[in-house]
Amino acid sequence: MKVLLWRLAILAAVLAAWEAIAAPLNPIFYVPPSALPAALLRMWCVPELPPLGQHVWLTFQEIVGAYALAVAAGLWLGFLLGLRRTVGRIYEPLLAALYAVPSVIWYPSLMLFFGLGPASKIAFGVLLGFFPIVLSVLAGIRQVPATLVTVARSMGARPRTVFTKVMLPAMASTMVGGLRAGLALCVVGVLVGEILGSRAGIGYVINYAYGLMMTREYAVLALIAAAAVLTLDTAGALVEARVKRWAG
Amino acid sequence: MPGGPTTAAPDPVVLESIGKRYDTASGAVQAVDAVSLTVRTEEFVTLLGPSGCGKSTVLGMIAGLVRPDAGRVLVAGAPCAGPNPEKVALVFQDGGLFPWRTALDNVTFGLELRGVPAARRCEIALGLLEPMGLRGFERKYPRELSGGMRQRVAIARALALDTPILLMDEPFAALDEQTRLLMGEWLVGIRRRARKTVVFVTHSLHEAIALSDRIVVMTARPGRIKDVVDVALPFPRDLNAPEVTDLRAKLWEQVREESLKAMGSRP
Repeated sequence: MKVLLWRLAILAAVLAAWEAIAAPLNPIFYVPPSALPAALLRMWCVPELPPLGQHVWLTFQEIVGAYALAVAAGLWLGFLLGLRRTVGRIYEPLLAALYAVPSVIWYPSLMLFFGLGPASKIAFGVLLGFFPIVLSVLAGIRQVPATLVTVARSMGARPRTVFTKVMLPAMASTMVGGLRAGLALCVVGVLVGEILGSRAGIGYVINYAYGLMMTREYAVLALIAAAAVLTLDTAGALVEARVKRWAG
Repeated sequence: MPGGPTTAAPDPVVLESIGKRYDTASGAVQAVDAVSLTVRTEEFVTLLGPSGCGKSTVLGMIAGLVRPDAGRVLVAGAPCAGPNPEKVALVFQDGGLFPWRTALDNVTFGLELRGVPAARRCEIALGLLEPMGLRGFERKYPRELSGGMRQRVAIARALALDTPILLMDEPFAALDEQTRLLMGEWLVGIRRRARKTVVFVTHSLHEAIALSDRIVVMTARPGRIKDVVDVALPFPRDLNAPEVTDLRAKLWEQVREESLKAMGSRP
């Protein structure tokens, strides 16, 4: 409760400071927060801007698609490399090397492969979101205490049972952390993809508003995107905390 | 030999000159060499020796978790090929409780693997936890229990399998001295009630003398049997009795020698 009050106080202080700094300056470059609610209302009827709902829905679909693919690919590759030690030893260094490269340099080639449409955004989201998931599965497998596996084996557990009753619960908290980080990066991937080159989606509208110097509308869009991501991440944090409490 | 009703049951554990070598980065290490031992029904045998003398490896081979390179392990008369949860239950040094399961669910784990119905599992587990002083702690997670409680849960989990043979790998090593002595007294009690054959591993002379019918002293690596000592004293044992003091001095002499060797051979 105390923490919450402090957070609200800090938020209020930031908004007040923002207002104080922005108010006397050129409104084309500096938007005071007091101008935002009006801008939000106007956004729905600005003829230059495409209908917003449609773009939000498209971005949402791209994020869901990217995350689903990133989770599927990440879990599959993670378990493949983690459980088949030889395969793991061959490919893990490659994975670590790829992870070190800033992924954004691949984006132009993704656009060439997948075009300007949603496919290239989904691909970029997958590319970003996939790494934390794979790495968390690998880390999780390494963290499974050998004693627990031995305990289960000594009681007659077959490999499949060891996997479901020992390894998965022992890995759960590490894996959920990776899944959460993966979701955040999928969102980043999709939005960055849209901003760098697209004809639809929130990122496209942001870029459009920015290009036309519609700074207020741009600021509103940025805040909407930020609020959506924060909501998503808070939900993720709650799930993660629950799993961690359970898995001890 | 005809299998008439008068035929004695086979000895629960027979080791026929078993050996085990591990390949490590710095070359092969002979962990256990030519260990032969017969454990009789309802006997409490302790393997005593310095750290790294292969005691745990011997236990692992009886449990079917480690495959010997040489010799043969017979459990209840049959050659051992993998874990045998119908005959052998194992208690580990640090307990090895599943942190995501409550005390009760840890105890029922082996029964779950056997496909025992949930209600029956719960009944068995509660019946084990209560006399162990864990009433009221059934729904607690391992992290909410003290070290001694955790170890009792681990022992209950092994007892839940209701096997004739119980293997214990330094089960009280992580506990403080007082708890350890109390747990020893407690084990003497349940072991007599439960009529188990126990193979116990420890590096504590105290524990070995307090609990065992027979003490097998092992040498430093490679682990061989140095001496086998019968302890024909009634339970509960007075650890200050003159026979015990003599025995402790004799065992210490042997263990000291091996511990020195083990320390000398450390890289």
